[in-house]
Amino acid sequence: MRNLQLSFNQTQKVRLEKALERLESLSSKSNPNSCVTVGDTIPVYEDGILKGHGTSDQKGELAATVCGVVERINKLIYVRALRARYKPETGDIVIGRVIEVVPKRWKLEINFTQDAILMLSSMNLPDGIQRRRTAVDELNMRSIFTENDLVCAEVRSSQGDGSLQLQARNQKYGKLERGQLLTVDPYLVKRRKQHFHHLEEYGIDLIIGCNGYIWIGEHVEARDKMVVDQGSNSEQLIAKCDKNSMDLDEQDGTCTPREARQNICRIANAIRVLSRLGFNITVEVILETVNLSNSLNLDIHDMLGSEFYVLVAESEAERRSLSKRKR
Amino acid sequence: MASLKRKSIMEDSYETPQPMQNSNGNGTMIVNDDEPVACLHDVSFPPGYVPSSSSTGAAAAEADAKPAKEFPFTLDPFQSEAIKCLNNGESVMVSAHTSAGKTVVALFAIAMSLRNKQRVIYTSPIKALSNQKYREFKEEFSDVGLMTGDVTIDPNASCLVMTTEIWRSMQYKGSEITREVAWVIFDEVHYMRDRERGVVWEESIVMAPKNSRFVFLSATVPNAKEFADWVAKVHQQPCHIVYTDYRPTPLQHYIFPAGGSGLYLVVDEKGKFREDSFHKALNALVPAGEGEKKRENGKRHKGLVAGKLGEESDIFKMVKMIIQRQYDPVIIFSFSKRECEFLAMQMAKLDLTEDDEKVNIETIFWSAMDMLSDDDKKLPQVSNILPLLKRGIGVHHSGLLPILKEVTEILFQEGLIKCLFATETFSIGLNMPAKTVVFTNVRKFDGDKFRWISSGEYIQMSGRAGRRGIDERGICILMVDDKMEPSTAKMMLKGSADSLNSAFHLSYNMLLNQIRCEEGSPENLLRNSFYQFQADHAIPDLEKQAKVLEEERDSMVIEEEDSLKNYYNLLQQYKSLKKDVRDIVFSPKYCLPFLQPGRFVCIECTRGDDNSPSFSTEDHQVTWGVVIEFEKVKGVYEDDANKKPEDSNYTVNILTRCVVSKDGAGKKTLKIVPLKESGEPLVVSVPISQIIKLSSARLPMPKDLLPLQTRENMLKSTSEFLARNASGLPLDPEANMGIRSSSYQKLVRRIEALESLFDKHEISKSPLIEQKLKVLHMKQELTAKIKSIKRQMRSSTELAFKDELKARKRVLRRLGYATSDDVVELKGKVACEISSAEELTLTELIFNGVLKDVKVEEMVSLLSCFVWQEKLQDASKPREELELLFTQLQDTARRVAKVQLECKVQIDVEGFVNSFRPDIMEAVYAWAKGSKFYEIMEITPVFEGSLIRAIRRLEEVLQQLILAAKSIGETELEAKFEEAVSKIKRDIVFAASLYL
Repeated sequence: MRNLQLSFNQTQKVRLEKALERLESLSSKSNPNSCVTVGDTIPVYEDGILKGHGTSDQKGELAATVCGVVERINKLIYVRALRARYKPETGDIVIGRVIEVVPKRWKLEINFTQDAILMLSSMNLPDGIQRRRTAVDELNMRSIFTENDLVCAEVRSSQGDGSLQLQARNQKYGKLERGQLLTVDPYLVKRRKQHFHHLEEYGIDLIIGCNGYIWIGEHVEARDKMVVDQGSNSEQLIAKCDKNSMDLDEQDGTCTPREARQNICRIANAIRVLSRLGFNITVEVILETVNLSNSLNLDIHDMLGSEFYVLVAESEAERRSLSKRKR
Repeated sequence: MASLKRKSIMEDSYETPQPMQNSNGNGTMIVNDDEPVACLHDVSFPPGYVPSSSSTGAAAAEADAKPAKEFPFTLDPFQSEAIKCLNNGESVMVSAHTSAGKTVVALFAIAMSLRNKQRVIYTSPIKALSNQKYREFKEEFSDVGLMTGDVTIDPNASCLVMTTEIWRSMQYKGSEITREVAWVIFDEVHYMRDRERGVVWEESIVMAPKNSRFVFLSATVPNAKEFADWVAKVHQQPCHIVYTDYRPTPLQHYIFPAGGSGLYLVVDEKGKFREDSFHKALNALVPAGEGEKKRENGKRHKGLVAGKLGEESDIFKMVKMIIQRQYDPVIIFSFSKRECEFLAMQMAKLDLTEDDEKVNIETIFWSAMDMLSDDDKKLPQVSNILPLLKRGIGVHHSGLLPILKEVTEILFQEGLIKCLFATETFSIGLNMPAKTVVFTNVRKFDGDKFRWISSGEYIQMSGRAGRRGIDERGICILMVDDKMEPSTAKMMLKGSADSLNSAFHLSYNMLLNQIRCEEGSPENLLRNSFYQFQADHAIPDLEKQAKVLEEERDSMVIEEEDSLKNYYNLLQQYKSLKKDVRDIVFSPKYCLPFLQPGRFVCIECTRGDDNSPSFSTEDHQVTWGVVIEFEKVKGVYEDDANKKPEDSNYTVNILTRCVVSKDGAGKKTLKIVPLKESGEPLVVSVPISQIIKLSSARLPMPKDLLPLQTRENMLKSTSEFLARNASGLPLDPEANMGIRSSSYQKLVRRIEALESLFDKHEISKSPLIEQKLKVLHMKQELTAKIKSIKRQMRSSTELAFKDELKARKRVLRRLGYATSDDVVELKGKVACEISSAEELTLTELIFNGVLKDVKVEEMVSLLSCFVWQEKLQDASKPREELELLFTQLQDTARRVAKVQLECKVQIDVEGFVNSFRPDIMEAVYAWAKGSKFYEIMEITPVFEGSLIRAIRRLEEVLQQLILAAKSIGETELEAKFEEAVSKIKRDIVFAASLYL
């Protein structure tokens, strides 16, 4: 039983246990030897192996440096950590919070051991105008992001010293407004082709960051394909944007309709349930959970009640056994 | 088009006519007829684009200010036209000859970006060219950086010069630079049609930042408009085309016939083709060796190489004449490195420089060589070239040490080299014109075969002739040593430039990189590719073609079509069966033993020009002759010597009656005629396929066939023999030739059955059957044609490369590079990093631990197989350890190839395996061990420059591998790659370019 801080009654407890047991029995029966803890020796069956992440050579023996599952690709042996801090890889989509604005760059907290860096030059200007390298630009950095803003970006590279460079390739990336951020364990988020999702039926944007930060917000029309406005003065534009964003802040209250807010909360609660149960978080599972709650006519706040947990666990067990049988 | 109306600062004497916008909004055209040097200006708008009027104000405000750059000379119309577009902030494609001055446009774009504090990127296809451009721009603007595979200087500069490959990988990785680029200049963009590298241009143009603008500089291409349409569509912005044929110095084209003594003006400076003097030139051709009938590919340069002892070679005569007439400096193009050097060596007797020039040359030479170590200065190539250079003769090809190439370029620009022997590579890049350009050859080897050089190549190379402001006209001399149809020559001299066609193809690295990007998808790239664009464009054309053909087909009416068709099909069947039988009987395995000298054979006569097939069961017109000998046809390259004799082609030399006719151009054609007709008894060589029957009888062979009488007598006895035996006593395939295969017997039986069917067929008696069949045949052919066009249409409506993409994705999944829902796995991440070598094989090698076990030197040596592509005929095998490694590589490659084959990727497994060449393993091993360069040159018989290029590329691969090792977290391997880099990166191989 995972440490769920919930009060279950007896039947719920039994049902939940049963569902979890069923899930466990369904999970792939991999070689028990493949699970290691720190310091365990990893058996090596052939010569000339490659030591990957999470392994170390200890007096001729290969030892694990993290807890996790041993993975072998041809001759490469590495340990995939089960519950570890987020480890960035190039191309990951992450969500971070600006903690500092320093010359030419923002520092972002992204749930990693170090703060990530987003260069001013790696950032698209609002409205996608071409950047010009002027001093004014740097002075206006706060008009793009200021402290405590939430930003979505892509991991560009990690330097030799472990510091992390982010980038925003196009208009999809950038400041996140009008929604809520959830934090889940990063290992629950698997790398997928798509991390940006537009849930049309709810009018919601869902961004599942690889670092375990999940954004649920009101849908924003992809900030227009840049209007061809070459030659127009970028400074003016920035000033204009500045004003715009201020306007937004003021009118914020009237902007997001009640229904959208409810949708946001419902999805957020679905994710909360899933993450507490320790299920992988993908857009399909989230939607299924939301649908389940809708079909039960549950109120949003009831979703966090113990009954719903049990239901979700049961339906997940059902789903997995179904998909297993199909195979 | 309000933006074009405003007056530009750059406007000079002429006034642009007010552009009129077409009703469909897709292009305006300005033709400056009144100007002597006209240029075409055209605009492509993306579909549904409305020119925004708001931009005009800003643009006009900008134009009121000082222009970004002023030039000390009056701009040519095409230059100012292009610059106007730049001032408007719109993309432009400039298509003009090499010498016309396209650089001005690039310079202006750079100046403009720098003024606006924006970044600008300049890409060129070749590292050497990037180096030269870097120097040129650095002098002009100072805030310039350079990035090539070899060097990186000031990567944060505002103007970055780089190779297109680097630019592409920057876009894949997502560099902050891409976000600040206002202008991207693609120089020599016609490289896009390059079979191997062209795809890089397409990728970089498709992926380029959406709000940057482009300058494309290209040689003259006839379909510039199509290219601009594509850019406009992909980037949703207008793209201008400025096209000019104009040459600052007009060209005169001459022909120098091999063995002849003079020049013939074929095309004058007005561009008129002179038919009469062209024929005179061809008549002056001294045929190489009169009685010699067979042409061998290897000996084509006979005329060039001094036929007889003591006689001066053509090239020597030519250079002497050029110097006498003061047509120097001259560039002499040939198509192979060896030939280049060989020709230069023949100039031994010439001395083209004054004493003070000699001193100058020597000073420049040694100051350049200064950076080399003492050992490297003693390299044979270095010491051999100086005496040549001192006499004003230079050599320039890719086999030279890079430093020597650069010294030669510098000396040439200084005017100290009067006569430069160069390969095609010299024809692109920096402005290095000469007064005269000579082509030693009109045919070039393009990998598979010799072919005429295309008019596009001719235009590019002849573009080096004529120095602006110095020469009144440039001179182009074509040395013709092969018989050439006037039409071919005309095509070459006067033809239009090659059009710009997509050479798009897929690679795994590209796929993985695209998959890895969140928003990127290979499908998207394909959809936006120029290839797809061209295919889409072709559809209306194809439709029209199909319609015309269909109409034509339907207009043909034939009586009794059904039964005629039946008869026709029978005939076709009969023919194909006959052919099958023939193929069996005359396969070299069976017939070679019977091709002894003296045997009578029945052969086809040379048919007239009418190609319409005959429709009787009879054979073609035949005649008889006597076998003299047979020989194997030699391939152009002898590397297929290990082929079995059965596979190769044979020709048979046969004595028979021929008519020799000479056409107007002095070209001789032989025509085989029946024995009874008049003609000379001659020996002709015919392919085996032309033989119809072999007789069982043989004629005693006289010793000497040279006297006409002997040959006449032989033919006479042939006729007598035939008079006695009208059938010619053919060899019976089964009884005499010992053909016992069951398939043969089956075929014979089927033929017999068919023959009886013919007789029964009622229609065969009908009159005019012959004509009717001919009409039917034409109809059938039309139908086939329509079918193929329809198929083509169907394939172009769907996504290009769709099937291949699927197959390749399957490969990636099978090998564990990506999952089924397109997530790149660890292996795929490694392969993503490798762009300079075959990514799959190399990744497999890494994951199999092959690189881990071996010593650093051995590893470097193994990796050399990935970067060496030339084929060496007589390379010695590497030592045992290396050989062993190489076998491992081959095994891995074979496995990778087989998986690809199983996944339905079209690949030739053995060809793929053999594309890894072990030829320089020893040399690279020694180099990594610390040998001197002259020592490793003694090991391998390759050109210095080629080896250096390979080692430099090897270093590039190693750098990529370092990143790859980092991504799998294997620190030891990473350290090993680092060590490898430090071991090979030294001395002359990595000597800095003189331009830096």
